[in-house]
Amino acid sequence: MIRAVIVMNTQGKPRLSKFYDYEPTEKQQELIRTVYSVLCSRPESVSSFVDADSIFGPDCRLVYKHYATLYFVFVYDSAENELAMLDLIQVFVETLDKCFKNVCELDVVFNYNKINTILDEIIFGGQVLETNSAEIMKAVEEISKLETAYTTIPLVPKSVTSWRSSV
Amino acid sequence: MALSGMRGLSVFISDVRNCQNKEQERLRVDKELGNIRTKFKNEKGLSPYEKKKYVWKMLYIYMLGYDVDFGHMETVSLISAPKYPEKQVGYIVTSCLLNENHDFLRLAINTVRNDIVGRNETFQCLALTMIGNIGGREFAESLAPDVQRLLMSSSCRPLVRKKAALCLLRLYRKNPDVVNVDGWSDQMAQLLDERDLGVLTSAMSLLVALVSNNHDAYWSCIPKCTRILERLARNQDVPQEYTYYGIPSPWLQVKTMRALQYFPAIEDPNTRRSLFEVLQRILMGTDVVKNVNKNNASHAVLFEALALVMHLDAEKEMMSQCVALLGKFIAVREPNIRYLGLENMARMLMVTDMQDIIKRHQAQIITSLKDPDISIRRRALDLLYGMCDVSNAKDIVEELLQYLSTSDFAMREELSLKVAILAEKFAPDLSWYVDVILQLIDKAGDFVSDDIWFRVVQFVTNNEDLQPYAALKAKEYLDKPAIHETMVKVSAYLLGEFGHLLARRPGCSAKELFSLIHDKLPTVSPPAISILLSSYAKILMHTQPPDPELQNQIWAVFRKYESCIDAEIQQRAIEYLALSRKGAALMDILAEMPKFPERQSSLIKKAEDAETDTAEKSAIKLRAQQQTSNALVVTDQQPLNGTSPVGPLSIVKVPSMSSDMDAGDHGLTQSNGSLSEMGQHATTPDLLGDLLGPVAIEAPPSASVQSEQNFVSDQEVSSSVVDVLALAPAEELTSAVQPIGNIAERFQNLCLKDSGVLYEDPYIQIGIKAEWRMHHGRLILFLGNKNTSPLVSVLALILSPAHLKMELSLVPEIIPPRAQVQCPLEVVNIRPSRDVAVLDFSYKFATSLVNVKLRLPAVLNKFLQPASVSMEEFFNQWRSLSGPPLKLQEVVRGVRPMTLLEMANLFTNYRLTVLPGLDPNPNNLAACTTFCSESTRAMLCLVRIETDPADRSQLRMTIASGDPMLTFELKEFIKELLVAILMTSPAPAPTPPPATELAIPAAASTDPGAMLAGLL
Repeated sequence: MIRAVIVMNTQGKPRLSKFYDYEPTEKQQELIRTVYSVLCSRPESVSSFVDADSIFGPDCRLVYKHYATLYFVFVYDSAENELAMLDLIQVFVETLDKCFKNVCELDVVFNYNKINTILDEIIFGGQVLETNSAEIMKAVEEISKLETAYTTIPLVPKSVTSWRSSV
Repeated sequence: MALSGMRGLSVFISDVRNCQNKEQERLRVDKELGNIRTKFKNEKGLSPYEKKKYVWKMLYIYMLGYDVDFGHMETVSLISAPKYPEKQVGYIVTSCLLNENHDFLRLAINTVRNDIVGRNETFQCLALTMIGNIGGREFAESLAPDVQRLLMSSSCRPLVRKKAALCLLRLYRKNPDVVNVDGWSDQMAQLLDERDLGVLTSAMSLLVALVSNNHDAYWSCIPKCTRILERLARNQDVPQEYTYYGIPSPWLQVKTMRALQYFPAIEDPNTRRSLFEVLQRILMGTDVVKNVNKNNASHAVLFEALALVMHLDAEKEMMSQCVALLGKFIAVREPNIRYLGLENMARMLMVTDMQDIIKRHQAQIITSLKDPDISIRRRALDLLYGMCDVSNAKDIVEELLQYLSTSDFAMREELSLKVAILAEKFAPDLSWYVDVILQLIDKAGDFVSDDIWFRVVQFVTNNEDLQPYAALKAKEYLDKPAIHETMVKVSAYLLGEFGHLLARRPGCSAKELFSLIHDKLPTVSPPAISILLSSYAKILMHTQPPDPELQNQIWAVFRKYESCIDAEIQQRAIEYLALSRKGAALMDILAEMPKFPERQSSLIKKAEDAETDTAEKSAIKLRAQQQTSNALVVTDQQPLNGTSPVGPLSIVKVPSMSSDMDAGDHGLTQSNGSLSEMGQHATTPDLLGDLLGPVAIEAPPSASVQSEQNFVSDQEVSSSVVDVLALAPAEELTSAVQPIGNIAERFQNLCLKDSGVLYEDPYIQIGIKAEWRMHHGRLILFLGNKNTSPLVSVLALILSPAHLKMELSLVPEIIPPRAQVQCPLEVVNIRPSRDVAVLDFSYKFATSLVNVKLRLPAVLNKFLQPASVSMEEFFNQWRSLSGPPLKLQEVVRGVRPMTLLEMANLFTNYRLTVLPGLDPNPNNLAACTTFCSESTRAMLCLVRIETDPADRSQLRMTIASGDPMLTFELKEFIKELLVAILMTSPAPAPTPPPATELAIPAAASTDPGAMLAGLL
């Protein structure tokens, strides 16, 4: 199963974290820090796989993808296929891209709730739920329709350049 | 896209981002938490939108690493809200903030159930998602049937059904009973007919979980899985959205193949054929293309197909094809493919007959050790380690040694251990082994654990041929200017022990060796200094006739350390100085270390433990584990040193007479002697003790003399005991071959000791070494051929009494000349009994057939463990065991007169703990012990002996235990002990418990004597 999904920026700030096996808060933070310290020391154009036994316990692996200023990290065990996990990261990112048109870190930061919703439509309790990004989008839109049916608050403007200063 | 944003949340996030440091961030977060707390308190005023905003803020704060320890109740209560937005928030946050053991969750079960059985699909989705993330046992018990219904319902949308499938998976993991295997297997098969690929993917995940636990019920799924695979691989009827970079749902393909790997075999020939067709298509039809994502997807499928092919034991041709593919992969540019290529090649090693084909890629794998990616380097190291055998050990180990100097620090420890293990397992000859380990210490001293250098010392000690070579090597390393401390230790040890073997070489006189070692002394730490002092003492001992100049030098060193602050060094210095003045006696005390008992290498054991303690249920791992043992068997069978049939390096070769060093004779007596004389050494449970303790000195001389006497008396004591005990037929010899020494006496010795010689004649010596733990015992029979021609028709049969379960490992039919064979014998004590097991041993030497029947020292007292109980415990037990058959009393006459002290000493030797002072009557004696057997487990036994000072030939004994048979057997056993001693004259009891203690009356308030009397 997939044990955890972590999205963090290249300075180690977590942007999204979801642990499918319960971990206490401090432990989560420690794991995120350790993962970051491993990832930031890896050069470009090496493999996407890292042995994670020492971080997450026996039989755990970690696969990551580096997009611009973000690391997308999946932690999983040997019941999953390594490359399929890598593909799933790609599906996640492509779906985000469709939602936000050229997704960037700020989209992820300021749409924390949306990202969570999207992830929930892709991974369910540590298992792959859906891999077809059109289907994912459909589910997410359905949810947002339901939400807006009850609320009239407008969307946050998408480009918030004034906030870019302190990534 | 139109997910609603929340201004308040965005503002808060932006505030947090604007914080200059962690302190500011904490302040901002605390402020917000305070704000939320107040808002929640007067909940009435909150609109659904506001509630939602606040819980998302809480969630964000939680992700930042702050504890959110309030609002749990609020979020849980939101679940029961009637409107979607609030309910949604309730579910999402509950599944993030709470874990499955949280008390509040219980409150929500009913609401959740209502949402699931309700008609609102969006509510169903929310509820399923939460259960799927944090549902525990209670959810499993109360909701599984409802979830199953949703999954099977034809009226539900795929969106709901796929969530229901994964939700059921979660509940099944929490409580496997919720899926009733009989009823469910048909439905599972039915689910696999699903056309919607989204639902099918989830159903397949469920199937994988089910079959990983129990595949038996799901055979009917195999053909369906095969069909799904065919459909996808041929790209038939796959909707465009479900192709990912042109590959029909790689996830479903991968899951399907994974599920198939949990079935031990696929027997139906038709299914098997079509499956192989699909696999063949996947294997052949996958190319490396430009697009990275497409590559990843197609190779995900390909690697899974490889794993399935390996699992199915395809024909050799197909396997070789797979290896060829892997060989291609490990050389491509794409690092992920290289990584997985190496990893899968390591798995391929588990497949029979593939090793040789894999070896063709050795050069490429070695290149991967220099890959810029540490993940890949690790895989390459694992693979090289796995593929190493006698044929390529030299190359691989040398590569690894070279790599050691450039490798990452993070890998060096593991690397050193692996080098040491490979060198030991596959050494083509022992001198190479010594070379490798010394190089290893030289290059990576900091990363070489003590186990590694202890092991090399053991080998050198046990193999005479190797000793001069090792000593020479050690000297060469010491000649170097700066060497690692571990190197100083091992070199000093080797030169101390074997340096005299080099005496005729230039530059190797005792004096030169001493100064060579002594030069290093200022650079090393106290533990190493201790070893150096031992080496000096050894050098001194070996220098015959004594060289006064050297003696003075060494004495000066000892004197200097006589006042060392380190107690270990000080003790060694003082003792060695005193000993070295004893002249000839020094020779005996500081003699060479005896051979180490053979045992499994702690290194190899460590490696094996590490391999087997992953307890996950992955199909490949399970399989790999099953096969590890095969692999080991294979390597074990590979003949080493030409002829030895036993595992690598496990035979202690009795040194050949032709050895050019004049150590032959000496060695022979050594090896024999080590069995009998050095018994105490042989049983030391921890090797490290042997090595680090002062060399060959066990106790101050006075103490050893004492124990010697002690031993003599025991020997006599037991000799007569056993005559009475002897239920086994007396030894009868069917030939003229006469045993050396008294067989009965040897047996009696072994009843008290755990190692020694059981039997010896001009041709063979049978030694025994035993370890006893609770009701288990492990005896090792050492069968040593003393001659230059082989012993044939060797036959060993165990005639075990009914109360012992004994299992003797295979005894080879032939014992090669001057070799020693070890045969472990496992003993389990089932119930108390005094019967004795017999070894029926025969062999042929030239024309004479020798047959002996030898009693084995697996006697009752071996299963006793000294126990210590307080007076109170003793009396409580004594009282609770009232009368026969648990408590038996007997007046014994004809006891050999002995003092109570002698009796106490006798008891102690037989592992009965004497409890001085417990019985206030100075003429009485109380003792206790624990007896272990399978039927009684560990059981406390109590003993009381009352003697009459006027007539020492009779006494009254009372035995109590929780088992009638045990009480009886123990009573008879002790009686035999006491009666049998009649003939022998007592040796003065050496270390009796102080007499005064026995005589001290107990406190007046509780008079145990009166208590005992009352109870009896």
